Amino acid sequence: MAALTEIEAAAPRDRLTRARVLHCGLAGGLVLACIASLQVGATDVTLSTMLAKLVQGEALSQIERVVLFDIRLPRLAMGLLVGAALAVSGAAMQGLFRNPLADPGIVGVGAGAGLGAILAIVLGPLLPVWVIDGVGNQLTPFAAFLGGWGSTILLYKVSTRHGRTSVATMLLAGIALGALAGALSGILVYIADDRQLRDLTFWGLGSLAGASWAKVLSAGPLIVLSIGAALMLGRGLNGLALGEATAAHIGIDVQRMKSIAILAVAGATGAAVAVSGGIGFIGIVVPHLLRLASGPDHRTLLLNSALLGAILLILADVIARVVIAPAELPIGIVTAVLGAPVFLWILLKRRGLVDL
Amino acid sequence: MRTKHDGFAAFLVIWTIMFGTFAALTVSAQQATDTQTPSADVLSIGGSVTEIVAALGQQHRLKARDTTSSYPPDVTNLPDVGYMRSLSPEGVLSVAPSLILSEEGAGPPEALDVIRAADVDFVEVPDALTADGILRKIEIIGAALDVPDRATALAAEVETALSAALADAERPETDRKRVLFVLSTQGGKINASGTGTAADALIRMAGGVNAVSDYEGYKQITDEAVGLAAPDVILMMDRGGDHGVADDELFDMPAVRLTPAAQTRSVLRMDGLLMLGFGPRTAHAIRMLNDALYGQGA
Amino acid sequence: MSLIAEDIRVTYGKREALRGIDLTALPGDVTAIVGPNGSGKSTLLSAITASLPFQGRVGLNGRDIGALKSWELAAQRAVLPQASRLAFPFTALEVVRLGLQSGTAGDKPEVPMQALARVGLAHYANRTFQELSGGEAQRVMLARVLAQVWAPVEGGQPRWLLLDEPVSSLDIAHQLQVMEIARDFARAGGGVIAVMHDLNLTALYADRVAILAEGKRLAFGSPTEVLTDDILSRAYGCALRVSAPPPQGVPYVLPHAAAV
Repeated sequence: MAALTEIEAAAPRDRLTRARVLHCGLAGGLVLACIASLQVGATDVTLSTMLAKLVQGEALSQIERVVLFDIRLPRLAMGLLVGAALAVSGAAMQGLFRNPLADPGIVGVGAGAGLGAILAIVLGPLLPVWVIDGVGNQLTPFAAFLGGWGSTILLYKVSTRHGRTSVATMLLAGIALGALAGALSGILVYIADDRQLRDLTFWGLGSLAGASWAKVLSAGPLIVLSIGAALMLGRGLNGLALGEATAAHIGIDVQRMKSIAILAVAGATGAAVAVSGGIGFIGIVVPHLLRLASGPDHRTLLLNSALLGAILLILADVIARVVIAPAELPIGIVTAVLGAPVFLWILLKRRGLVDL
Repeated sequence: MRTKHDGFAAFLVIWTIMFGTFAALTVSAQQATDTQTPSADVLSIGGSVTEIVAALGQQHRLKARDTTSSYPPDVTNLPDVGYMRSLSPEGVLSVAPSLILSEEGAGPPEALDVIRAADVDFVEVPDALTADGILRKIEIIGAALDVPDRATALAAEVETALSAALADAERPETDRKRVLFVLSTQGGKINASGTGTAADALIRMAGGVNAVSDYEGYKQITDEAVGLAAPDVILMMDRGGDHGVADDELFDMPAVRLTPAAQTRSVLRMDGLLMLGFGPRTAHAIRMLNDALYGQGA
Repeated sequence: MSLIAEDIRVTYGKREALRGIDLTALPGDVTAIVGPNGSGKSTLLSAITASLPFQGRVGLNGRDIGALKSWELAAQRAVLPQASRLAFPFTALEVVRLGLQSGTAGDKPEVPMQALARVGLAHYANRTFQELSGGEAQRVMLARVLAQVWAPVEGGQPRWLLLDEPVSSLDIAHQLQVMEIARDFARAGGGVIAVMHDLNLTALYADRVAILAEGKRLAFGSPTEVLTDDILSRAYGCALRVSAPPPQGVPYVLPHAAAV
């Protein structure tokens, strides 16, 4: 027994405990980020003055109401949803592909959504008038979602034979599908007019500026559902780190887990990209930082990714809208500018451990 | 854990630098907001709209502008709400306009919905590629600013100048030069104007022929098509910089080398807003281009 | 209560890797599978662990493995693969915990440290897996497998260790250590099936030996019965002599003489 006592003494600094502490810290951080997001903006309307007014029973001015309820709140909700969706999807894809550099783009979401958006922008005006009137501003996001979701499902079907999904086939087919979508997009770009081209450019950069309750309500439920499904994959993804065969040996239903992961990622990322355009780096940088902080255990990594992803995107959005106010930067630029250096640094620093 | 602290330290350092950059940007953006007249309450979106507001003598009422508004030069001192197609609703509201004058095509639509919800008057000024269109713009803006008399006077003035410039630029069809409008030459690929664009309209008004009539809008054109278009003159936007070097590069491009324009090294550069804005200065632009094409007083 | 494989056939494309193999392993025994390269040893183990499609039938403790869910299988048997690559920087202890969670000892948090101690790596608990040497990594994986089936007998049923070349990248001392662990597991009532390369270790530790050649079972029995000049020479395609001292002057080291 003496030997065992010694072992307990030398015992584990427990990364699991640290990850659980991080849950609380990040949840607190998220609350602060939300407050900051409601407090700061191009106008001098602030959350604190509005709350003071409400407490004293004064009515809010028209501008205050519009800024708070029609601009900052939907934007905050969208930032939260999109940030969490991108980060969780990144973590899930990295776990599924057993590669810390994987992102949802691998399963064709980006290419498909881009093609969908371009189709809607360029060919949308050719639709019958009643369709255009019916969907209104939602045509592009809707088409982007269909494109992203559809291409992922297509890839998944192509890569599944006899109930087994080959992750390697999916990767290769994804490259082919990406090239095809790129070529189709190129053709559409050629027939696009000047104004459509500009719309395309701004769609591609990604922004939360187009946030509206309509978008939050249409994308929100799917994102929440998908994140919820992804959060249950922790144990399975941990097992998968040992390889597919071993994961099965330790009792994981690998095929079921793959299906859930792919569907959840397609849903979350498809919806996120549809309402906000392409926002890079959250999906790769967030899980990486968290692995450095509290280890690769997916049971905690997924939830922490959701929290940190939401925090970072909300803060990036705050930066995007105050830096050159009254104009604003596309948020994709902010996340890329903040994310790219961190990402490069991680690669340099961890070169030995990033085992491809 | 050592790596963890290193990780966060580096992350913080990089982030601090980024925040510094953003802060500097913010300060430079803020400086622009210092020169405001108290009575100003108009946000003008679109270069030609802003020009017309100024030509109506109402520049003192401008509170802010968009990125494309660069004339008269001192409007650039006003706060910039960004590019007209990607407006930020809160950014627009933050300059507290009571009237927004906008060229056609401002967006995104969600932003405009919110702005309208905040009880701000929003007047959309239709695009124009003709003399009549310019006059209509002046009329609409004059009405929105409640200076119809000034608008009538300006419209009359502009109309006279335009008809004179058009009449002077008119020439027999056989005598017209073929003009190729090149939007960009990025990566050795030429992006040229087809029909239906502001460039196409101006070229025709100034007594030239658009060398490309096979397609609409601005598109990349193949090297051989440039040769077939056989432009006598290449027209570009003036982006500053060393024109000598730029000309050498332009005429050295395989696509351009064989054109008549290259034989005579004929390239014209004009201010983009002056050429393509279709506002009060268009008569001037017509004369300038016509003079450059055919010589003074031709 | 045993592990019974009947008429196992596996084809890779057109090649028949296994051509109808029977194998019965009893709890309390270490059952070794030996044979030359390409004889189908690892393929047989993969079939027994349901890792690849096969024809035939595998019964585990009286139930067909095809009818069991993967978590039900995981509660009854643990599998040590030949080589293990790990995708993320988990620590040794975290890897062992992965095994614990899938077994039935999940409510015993002390088990992973005990399993690491069993393979002599308790002091490396907080090292990341990628920092370990090949041999250390293999022993950590063994600890993970042990944690999964920590009690060799549970609810009156034996549990099984299925090991694919468990000593392939170990030095001789650790080879003996690992084989001792396997034998102890069997002596405590569990079942062990190990694919082996080393005939000496097989002779020392196995209770039953199956010799495979060209996808068929050449012999099956106790080491003394099957490790004979004739059978081994046929299996490996070269003249072999069992228990013959080597020529004079060349030193030789056999695990038989080691003191653990």
